[in-house]
Amino acid sequence: MATIYKEFLLLVRDPGGMTLLFLMPLALVIVMALVQDAPFRDYQEIKLDVLFADLDHDSLGTRIQQAFHTSPNINLVENNDTAVVNDLVHSGEFKAAIILPADASKTLRQKSNRVINDVLVNAGLVAESPRPVELTGIRITILFDPVIKANYKQVLSAAIEKILTGIQAEWILDELQGQLSENKPGTKKIKPDLSGLITIDQTYASENAATELELNSVQHNVPAWTMFAMFFILYPLAGNYIKEREEGSLLRLRLISGSGLPVVTGKFAFYFGICLLQFVLMILVGIYVMPLIGLKALILGSNITGIIITACSVAIAATGYGTLIAVYFKTPQQALSFGSISVVILSAFGGVWVPVYVMPGVLQQISRFSPLNWGLESFNDLFLRDAETILILPNLLKLIIFGAVTLAASIFINKSRTVS
Amino acid sequence: MTNAIVQVDNITKQYRGSPQPAVSNLSLKINEGSVFGLLGPNGAGKSTLVMMMCGLLTPDNGSISLLGMNVKNKGAAIRKQVGVAPQEIALFPTLTAYENLFYFGRMYGLDAAVIKERIESYLTTFDLKEKANSRVQTFSGGMKRRLNLIAALLHQPKLIILDEPTSGVDVQSRNVILDFLVELAAKKTTIIYSSHLLTEAERICTHLAILDAGKLIVAGTPGQVMDATPGHENLEQVFLTLTGKNIRD
Repeated sequence: MATIYKEFLLLVRDPGGMTLLFLMPLALVIVMALVQDAPFRDYQEIKLDVLFADLDHDSLGTRIQQAFHTSPNINLVENNDTAVVNDLVHSGEFKAAIILPADASKTLRQKSNRVINDVLVNAGLVAESPRPVELTGIRITILFDPVIKANYKQVLSAAIEKILTGIQAEWILDELQGQLSENKPGTKKIKPDLSGLITIDQTYASENAATELELNSVQHNVPAWTMFAMFFILYPLAGNYIKEREEGSLLRLRLISGSGLPVVTGKFAFYFGICLLQFVLMILVGIYVMPLIGLKALILGSNITGIIITACSVAIAATGYGTLIAVYFKTPQQALSFGSISVVILSAFGGVWVPVYVMPGVLQQISRFSPLNWGLESFNDLFLRDAETILILPNLLKLIIFGAVTLAASIFINKSRTVS
Repeated sequence: MTNAIVQVDNITKQYRGSPQPAVSNLSLKINEGSVFGLLGPNGAGKSTLVMMMCGLLTPDNGSISLLGMNVKNKGAAIRKQVGVAPQEIALFPTLTAYENLFYFGRMYGLDAAVIKERIESYLTTFDLKEKANSRVQTFSGGMKRRLNLIAALLHQPKLIILDEPTSGVDVQSRNVILDFLVELAAKKTTIIYSSHLLTEAERICTHLAILDAGKLIVAGTPGQVMDATPGHENLEQVFLTLTGKNIRD
C-alpha cells in the first residue's frame, strides 16, 4: 500500500506522465475514430453517384432508371453525351458510368423472342419462325475511374447485373405469354410480380441484433486504442522505474527489503489500477463523447462481467509487459524506444490499426500471437457478438498467462540483479 | 571484552570478466559501539565490501555475520537492524521530505504514529523541520544529504553503514552530520563509515581499516594505525604511504 500511495504521489506530480496516460489516449481514440469513420463507412455504407448514358432511348433505359431509383447504394445521374461521360469519369468527378447502347431494347426483345420461340418450337407448340440474321447479345459498358476501390466496382457491377437479370426475366415471360396467346386467341396477358419470389433477410448472428450492431469506426477504434493506451503504460512505468534506479532510491528500497519484490509488485498493482482507470475513461468517451462529434455511440453488449474480466486481463498483460521492459533495460532510452516500438508492432499485428480480417493471410496468422489481438478479439466478441464469458475464456487465459509470465520474469531478473 | 557486531572471515569476491578480485581473502572485526572508518582509494574494494555486508552481493568465498547472524541466510532479519545511507541521494525528488521519510518508514514496517514521531525528531535534529513539506528537488546538496541520512536512521538500527555521508555538503551541514554521528556512537550504535575524507575519519572514528586492491592493509584504532607507519604526522600521510601516490580510476 505504501508503494501504491507513493506511486500515486509521483504520478500526480508529473504533468507529462498524467498527459501521456490520460489526455493523449483520449485524444488518440477520438481522432482515430473520426479519421477512420469514412473508411469504415466504405465497408458498409457505399453511396455512389453513377453517370448513366441512355443511347437506347427506349424501355430498357427507363426500366434501368426505375430499378436504380430504389437502390440504397447507387444514384444514377443521366447524361447522354458519351464523350462528356468519358471525360467526367476520366477526371475522377464521377467514379463510374453506365453506357446503354443504342437499340438495346430492340435487341433484347428480339433475343427474348428467339429464345422463347426456340423453346416452344422444341415443345411442338408453335411453328418455327424465320431467322433472318444471327442476333448478338447487348453489350452494356461500365466505365470506372482507375482509383475506384475494388469493393465499389463489385457493388456496382453486381447491382447492374441483378437489375438486368430481373428485366430479362420479365421480358422473357412477357414474350412467352405473347407467343402462347397467338396459339390460343383470347388469352389475356398478365404481369406477374417476380419481386417477392426470393427474399434475403440480412441480420447479425448476435443476440444484440436488435441494437443494429455493426463494426463501425467507434466499435473498432474505442476498444482497439484503449488497449493500445493500456499497453503504453510501459512508458511511465519504465521511465519512473529506471529513473528511480539511476537516482538511487531503488537501491535504498532493496537495502530495506532485500529484494525488489515489494517494489515490483507495488508498482504492478498501481499501474494495473491506472490501466483500469484508462479503460473506464475511454469507454465513457466511446459512449458519451463520440455521439457529440457525429459518430455512433459505443455499444457494450450485455455481458458487463465479461467486460470487467477482459479489462482486468488486458491490464494484467499490459502492466506485466511494462514491468518487464522497465526491469530488463538499463537506460530509459533503450526501454522507451524498444517498449514503444514493440507496442506499435504488437498493435499493428493485433488489429488495432486495421481489422485483422482485412490483413493478408500471413499477417492474420501472426496476429494470433499478439496480446493486443487477444484483447481486441475478446472485446469484439463481447461488444458485437454479445458473447458469454466462456467463449472468450481462451483469450483471457492467454492474457493472464502473458501477464503472469512477464511479471515472474521481471521479479526473477530484478532478483538476479539485486544479489549476484 | 566488547562484542563483535560485524565479523568478516576470509571473504573473496571477483566480478565476472574482471582479471582480479575486488575483495581478496579479507577478514575484519568491528566491535559494538565503535565508529569504524573504512578507508581506501578508488577501486580498493570498499563498496564491494559494503554491498556484501548488506546482502546485495554474495561473496565467492568466506562468510560475513552481522549482529551475530550470517548475512547469507539471515538477510531479512539483519536488514531490520541495519541502516544504510548510500552515496547516492536515494530519495524521490518530487516527494516532500516528510513523504519520503514516511514512505521509507512504512517500508521498514514501522507504525504510522512511530514514523511521525521519529520524522519530527530527526527533522528537528538535522534542522530540516521547516522544510518538511517542501519537495526534495528544491533542497540544497547539504539538505538532501542530511535527509538521506535520516532515511537510514528511521528504524533506529543497531548498525549504520554510511557511504560518503558528507560528500558535496558545506561545512555547516558536515558539522551537523559528524556531531550527530558521534552522539549516536555514544549511545552504543555501531557506525561503519566509508569515506575518502581522512580528516573526518580522524575526527570521528574509533577504529580504522585501510583497504587497497581488495586487501586489508591495516586495521586498528587511529593510534594503532599511526604507529604502524612511524614518522608520519597525520592519517593522510599514513594513507599515502600505505596505498601509494599513483592516481586511481
